Amino acid sequence: MATPTSSETTFESVSRTKGAVFEYLTLGASLFGLVALGVLLLYVFWDAFGLATAEIAWYGALVICVVAPTLGFVAYARRNTVAGEVALELVSTAMGGLLAGFGVIAVIEVIAGPAVWFAYFLTVVAPLVGLFLYNRARPEVTWVGLAMLGVLIAGPIIGTLTLDTLTQIESLIGGPFVYLLSLVLPAAVIARYVIDDYLELGNGNFAAGLVVAVAFFAVPLIDTLPLVSRSVWLIFLSTLVTPLGIVAWKNLAAPENRVGFAGPGIFIGGVGLLLIVTDALGLSGPTPWFDWQYLTSNPSRFADQAGLYSAIIGSVFIIVLVALITLALGVGAAIFLEEYAPDSGPGAAIARLIRINISNLAGVPSVVYGILGLAVFANLVGLGFGTVITAALTLSLLILPIVIISAREAIRAVPDSIRNASYGMGATKWQTTRNIVLPRAIPGILTGTILALGRAIGETAPLIMIGVATTKFSPPSGLFSKTTAMPMQIFAWSSYPSAEFQHGVVAAGVVTLLVVLLTMNSIAILLRNKFETEEL
Amino acid sequence: MAHDSNGLSDRVSRRKFIATTGATGIAAIAGCSEGGSSGGSDGESGDGSSGDGGSTDGGSTEEESTETATEQSLSGEINITGSSTVFPLATAVAEEFQKMHSGVDISVQSTGSGGGFENFFCPGESDINNASRPIKDSETQNCNSNNVNPHEIKVATDALTVIINNENDWATEMTVDELAQIWGPEAGSGQTWADINSDWPDEEIERFGAAETSGTFDYFTEVINGEEGAHTQDYEPTEQDRTIVQGVTGSQYAIGYLGFAYYSQNPDQVTAVAVDNGNGPVKPTLETAKSGEYAPLSRPLFTYPAMSALSEQHIAEFCRYFVEQSANTELVANQVGYVPNSQEEMQTELDELNSAIEEANS
Repeated sequence: MATPTSSETTFESVSRTKGAVFEYLTLGASLFGLVALGVLLLYVFWDAFGLATAEIAWYGALVICVVAPTLGFVAYARRNTVAGEVALELVSTAMGGLLAGFGVIAVIEVIAGPAVWFAYFLTVVAPLVGLFLYNRARPEVTWVGLAMLGVLIAGPIIGTLTLDTLTQIESLIGGPFVYLLSLVLPAAVIARYVIDDYLELGNGNFAAGLVVAVAFFAVPLIDTLPLVSRSVWLIFLSTLVTPLGIVAWKNLAAPENRVGFAGPGIFIGGVGLLLIVTDALGLSGPTPWFDWQYLTSNPSRFADQAGLYSAIIGSVFIIVLVALITLALGVGAAIFLEEYAPDSGPGAAIARLIRINISNLAGVPSVVYGILGLAVFANLVGLGFGTVITAALTLSLLILPIVIISAREAIRAVPDSIRNASYGMGATKWQTTRNIVLPRAIPGILTGTILALGRAIGETAPLIMIGVATTKFSPPSGLFSKTTAMPMQIFAWSSYPSAEFQHGVVAAGVVTLLVVLLTMNSIAILLRNKFETEEL
Repeated sequence: MAHDSNGLSDRVSRRKFIATTGATGIAAIAGCSEGGSSGGSDGESGDGSSGDGGSTDGGSTEEESTETATEQSLSGEINITGSSTVFPLATAVAEEFQKMHSGVDISVQSTGSGGGFENFFCPGESDINNASRPIKDSETQNCNSNNVNPHEIKVATDALTVIINNENDWATEMTVDELAQIWGPEAGSGQTWADINSDWPDEEIERFGAAETSGTFDYFTEVINGEEGAHTQDYEPTEQDRTIVQGVTGSQYAIGYLGFAYYSQNPDQVTAVAVDNGNGPVKPTLETAKSGEYAPLSRPLFTYPAMSALSEQHIAEFCRYFVEQSANTELVANQVGYVPNSQEEMQTELDELNSAIEEANS
């Protein structure tokens, strides 16, 4: 710090005032949105969890049993960073596994059904994974990429043609066996690989055997639980129990990491203690609208029986299709525009026209896409009013420009020097794109796509235009089945006259939508961080 | 075929009889504890349905077995569109129907009466369209030109309610003529309450009403302004009753109109205007709407299945169930907030529906 001369002091004091005002103005601008959103969230969560009904003493018990010990651990973890990292790893694995389990149940068990999943697992998923692993083991084999493309095209056709036969096989072996084959065994193989090769903890075969053994030996215990079927158990074994087991094993193996288990332990113990204390003292807790019943019931005219089940499944169904369509089309278009489009001649003019148009399409209001979907997909192509496929295609069109733009940005961010180095080594354009450009662009592509999917899942206007049902009492059964979606049902409830609907059921619906959105966004962040830190 | 469908209707109405008597029984108890006037009518409807059930009396064990057979055999999709006023009633009936027939997949979309006919029902994209007014001739022609033939079913009666702010103490009673002056096509911006009645304050009127696709709009303009569609342009049009109530709650000088159901569940938020049709002011209630005293704003609510859809067993069954539930006081009046059909009306509608189903199947 050099001492300023006296002539500079007066000049500085003037500029500091302006600077400070400007600084606080920008601070206000950045806080405005956050504060508004925060107030809205508080309001919605207050209603959705029925916090108004809880006694003051209940909040006291909550603070003493759960909040204070957890905060204490957080404070400790600030000094002992290893404990914090281990606790975070355990918690995020558990949360991710839980959500992945629910996602798998929604997509495979409810929407597709084990029979259909079995058919396409055998014809598409298993060959693809097999080829991928073969390629990892023998990178020098060149036909694998083409074979995978072939499986991707021929697999669905063969699967559809042999659907009847494979469905009969499925009915012989049963749903749980399908999950054992398609989820638990792969999970066991992954566990073996991770324990043995990646973490180098030794006995990977033992870990794989343990996964399969747990799958079988827990069945008698699971059968006594009315809420959990064998299929659900096997799904959660692969998505939650196995990853959590691996993470726990890894951290238990390192003695300095063991303290990290205290964090989740304190939290779970605190919740248990809270339940015991409130029960013993007879304190009345909150009466949440957002609960298990809400997530698993169909809509009802009675607020206490109303649920979002059919709408959640409908939205998940639509968004899975939208993700598949936009990833394929969006990344394809972005690669063409960035890597293959000509730089000169008449082709360049056309490519520029396409680029400008795509940028403009990103700003077109969603209602316009709704009308487009109504005219093209519902009427012209005849995919039906308000069906899953019409909704998915319409929403795909809506977010496709955003996906293309973000994918283009991600591809353009890969330095040309790397590309040229690849060409200099004699690599073809395809080899450069596949091995050099795409791996570096994937984090950006995924982030952009998932954020765009978040926009699609909350979209209502185009769904109204294409005739998506406001209320439905069962989830869609296929691509051409009528569906409803979360925002449609929430909007319908918001016009119900009773206060229970307006302040309870609607708020719970908003929370459900927010949880899904925030989950998708955190997956985007996790993926980005993971790929960015990976060595390239 | 015809015989078969009749047999089905008997079985189902027998089952509905059990449900209806149970429901009306509860309603009767509730009515007795509240007061005598409604208790009497509940008793009547209870009698009616037991008579209906008696005519199709059969062995109870046989009844059980055929019932399960019916439940298993019914499957398919039912697409319902139309009026946002009938929407709560249709979803309530659909919810109950779906509980009994899990194979039937019902989707209900709230599009407005006219919007439903124009965009979904007449092009053949929905099986049933609800309407808060009778179908127009132009709409019938439009449907017929696409080989869609609607069959009219009256499912309930609504008391279209004119609402004002709770602070408004001058306009709690209004004549039809005064309403026509406020909502007529000549009424425009700058019109004050004093322009209607010199005793009223000299403040500008704020209007909140139904959108043009709404059957409420059509019905209101026809009975108040004498011509369908004759309506002031200076108002806030919406399909959402909640928006109307919020608008009226927000300003002392506001006025709006909407279906009775929303008002009946939030009677403290706004004040309902007693409408004077020449026989003194009458407040909108389920009783005055049922007796016809609340005129001219008490209006019938309809649902229109397509004849082609009625030839499908699951849709025919659903329509029968809808008609039978239209006389269920607990569901229609207490849970949704409309005036249920009388037992005689219900029986007439059911007979007409059954002959329509026979015609559709032949």
